[in-house]
Amino acid sequence: MFPRLVAVASLVLSAFLFQPVTAQDADDWRATSSRVDELLAAKWKVAVVEPGKPATDAQFLRRAYLDLTGVIPSPGEVRAFLADDKPNKRARLIEKLLDKPNHATHLANAWRDVMLPRTNNNNQLQFGRTAVFDRWLRGHFVDNTPYDKIVRELLTTGGQVNQTGPVLYYTTLELKPEKLAASTSEIFLGVQIQCAQCHDHPFDKWKQKDFWGYAAFFARLQQPAAQQRAAFRVVEGTAGEVKLPDSDEVVPPKFLDAKEIAADSGIARRVQLADWITSPENPYFARATVNRAWSMLFGYGLVDPVDDFGDHNPPSHPKLLDELAADFAEHDFNLRRLFRVLANTRAYSLTSEVIAGESVDPRLFSRMSIKSLSPEQVYDCLSEAVRLREAVGNTGATSAFGRQLDQRKQAFLAKFEAPAQRRTEFQSGIPQALTMMNGQFLVTATDVSRSDILAALIDASFFTNEERVEVLFLSALARFPEKAEREKFVAYVKTGGPTKDSKQALSDVLWALLNSSEFMLNH
Amino acid sequence: MNRSQSKNRIPLTRRDMLRNAALAAGVSSWMPAFANAFADDPKRQRHCILLWMTGGPSQIDTFDLKPEHANGGEFKPIDTNAPGLQISEHLPKLAKHGDQLAVIRSMSTKEGDHGRGTYLMRTGHQPGGLIQYPTLGSLLSKELAPPQAEMPDYISISPYRVFNRSAFQPGFLGPRHAALTVGAADSFQPQQQQDADSYAELGVDDLFAPDSVTEEQVSARLSLLTSLQDGFVSRHSTASAISHRTVYERAVRMMKSEAAQAFDLEKEEDAVRDAYGRGRFGQGCLMARRLVESGVPFVEVSLGGLGGGALGWDTHQNNFARVKELSAELDAGWSTLMSELKERGLLETTTIVWMGEFGRTPQIRRPGAAAGRDHYPAAWTTVLAGGGIKGGQAFGKTSADGASVAEGKVDVPDMLATLCKALGIDPGQQNISELGRPISIAEGKVIEDIVA
Repeated sequence: MFPRLVAVASLVLSAFLFQPVTAQDADDWRATSSRVDELLAAKWKVAVVEPGKPATDAQFLRRAYLDLTGVIPSPGEVRAFLADDKPNKRARLIEKLLDKPNHATHLANAWRDVMLPRTNNNNQLQFGRTAVFDRWLRGHFVDNTPYDKIVRELLTTGGQVNQTGPVLYYTTLELKPEKLAASTSEIFLGVQIQCAQCHDHPFDKWKQKDFWGYAAFFARLQQPAAQQRAAFRVVEGTAGEVKLPDSDEVVPPKFLDAKEIAADSGIARRVQLADWITSPENPYFARATVNRAWSMLFGYGLVDPVDDFGDHNPPSHPKLLDELAADFAEHDFNLRRLFRVLANTRAYSLTSEVIAGESVDPRLFSRMSIKSLSPEQVYDCLSEAVRLREAVGNTGATSAFGRQLDQRKQAFLAKFEAPAQRRTEFQSGIPQALTMMNGQFLVTATDVSRSDILAALIDASFFTNEERVEVLFLSALARFPEKAEREKFVAYVKTGGPTKDSKQALSDVLWALLNSSEFMLNH
Repeated sequence: MNRSQSKNRIPLTRRDMLRNAALAAGVSSWMPAFANAFADDPKRQRHCILLWMTGGPSQIDTFDLKPEHANGGEFKPIDTNAPGLQISEHLPKLAKHGDQLAVIRSMSTKEGDHGRGTYLMRTGHQPGGLIQYPTLGSLLSKELAPPQAEMPDYISISPYRVFNRSAFQPGFLGPRHAALTVGAADSFQPQQQQDADSYAELGVDDLFAPDSVTEEQVSARLSLLTSLQDGFVSRHSTASAISHRTVYERAVRMMKSEAAQAFDLEKEEDAVRDAYGRGRFGQGCLMARRLVESGVPFVEVSLGGLGGGALGWDTHQNNFARVKELSAELDAGWSTLMSELKERGLLETTTIVWMGEFGRTPQIRRPGAAAGRDHYPAAWTTVLAGGGIKGGQAFGKTSADGASVAEGKVDVPDMLATLCKALGIDPGQQNISELGRPISIAEGKVIEDIVA
């Protein structure tokens, strides 16, 4: 009885899911930002929830830097922003950050983690062999190439892995139609179809033939001989079909909205798939993309997890998702505009503070969720905080020095590696805490004789100890110390702590700041 | 709530709850309905020690000898203290513990590549899928860990992870279930030959502050940190802020704890250290005993190297001399570990697993002085021993030439399910993967003949 109920529900709901994204009359991004806030507020009203107070300027600055450029601001940037008393300073900050080279790098890192997850047995992704791919992605984000064009290029690419960026995507998936099907549907359409690979599941909307019909679009990639699993070249052939597992039944290509493709149209199958996926009429593509961008800024997606759209996992704000998706499609899949819209909402400006005993439903977005940093962000923020500037931002540098820094970075990242999911949970364990407290990176960074930032502070003889403590707070936490903190930490530096040495005491302060939750989290 | 329900399972998100509520009607096993059905005494802490044989050990030269056949090679079988069970003449000390060993001679798997085989054996799953499966240590320590432990739940001693790093990682369980690593041996270079009078050195990565920072300074730093943490958590009373603070508290507790002394092998008498063997494996087994005593649920010790490189068991060449040498180190470490656990009453709650990524060809390749055996997953041997295991037996049989399984074929999931049962864990218990799907700890069937 139960499966039948699910089937009926799924029919009703799929009518909703298959609505094409339609145009809405939004004349500019400000109107869209306001509309987002309006729809969120409507739900607060129903849930009888008061939104949190606005975040402080310092909190907002650090959050926007982390979300839009991946790293924390420098002390100079913090001082300048806090001193700025002209109007619209948050909107002006967002514009400035969207124009920074680091914004493109940050998006490239985020999309690379999605497109090339560090999965099993994948030597191509170890040892930082993704430079060509990274450059390809980053170049598009620098140019703000419309997202549909980027995806189309990935879906129709061919050539050598060491020359053509997106080819790495295919070789890491071993050019297998079933893997490419599972991955592209998850990343670009936000749906999980791979569970139907082996057989039909009673609760799943997708049937085995849906899966293989979709996989058939990748059937004509020339398969490497069994000996060369990691073939380094992608070539589209003119023949090749997929069959249902353990049978001889050939499954013709079929889109997920059940449209079959015109036989013998002469157009390569992957081109037909790219046409369908990136069409403004596609019911999934724009929704999946705005939802991913939303979760990057807000911690949770409107659909969460972001790659599991379906009747079983409805959006928290369906109308908001539909309108945002329509707006995105209507504006040529302009990602920079999308981030501008989202970062300029009132919701994005709200505090993340929650007092003990208060219960907050994070999926109402009435408070900002606390996000954990990716391993890459932890490393880059540490580097920024201690002024190890060369290491910030992976621009594909290949100098010997760059490689050496890269090795240090790889070793650090290896300790923190995690599936890029559930960013609202703190993921690390004891080994990572030990590495933060006692590992080589922090030992060097807080060693009075080797630390760049401590050397600079100590050399600046015109600084008082109070100013030195202030710089350390600004560097690590992007804020001034509060009164009580100021008193406690300045007194500690003055007396010199257990070593009776102010320099050592400054290193202790830096150590504590870099190990704090406030440093390790995006709030 | 019983023990298994209240332990640190991946917290369910609101959506998971909804999904579970919707599906519970149809699939009762989504909720752990029976946790302690397998554990005869749930209050007793269970342990697991994995002896991981990097490179793939030769079954015919260790536990499945073929003296009657040309494939058998040079080594002779000897009797163990269990009637009818014979093992290699180069494992004489282990032979005295034959009554504790269940030798599975009928393993049959499908991965003959180091990287893929390592992943398969250590996770129970084929490599290459979209799901990042957790390594055995993460999976089992999560189930066995006592709440509020001072020590980490999973410790890995001298792992060689280069074949497949994912096979040593916590996968979808996340870094909080990652191994604490001691003396990683991730290098193709031969390890430094320790001189004959010294012991292999094993240390925990980053366990203590460097010498340049005094003990008083460490305390002062921690007290500064505490004041920052208290301030932040009072303003952000959220799960992620609280769990960050908690993880640090546990790490600090370990740095300061008596239990961390378990890592200090110099506390042991020389006679004891010598009995285990002075190499990395022997000293690793000694550390494993100390860690089990201090309550750590899962410890793995890798044997690959000796002084001569990390790929010790990969004996394409020079098989007999190398296996003999490796057997001596294995014999001393493993047998002393069993004796000492037994003396302390810990063997009955500690299950030991011996395995590598696959076996080796029954045929001797490249005959002559450099004779070797190549990779062979079709018919090979693993061993379960100690707590929860019905010892003194060989399970399954290979053909006379050793080329195929003649009786009682065992695949990885079955072996892992059997290990779970020996440890008092329900193999059907499920974790939620990063894709939101429930995944059983082990998907095979328990081999009842092996479980005590």
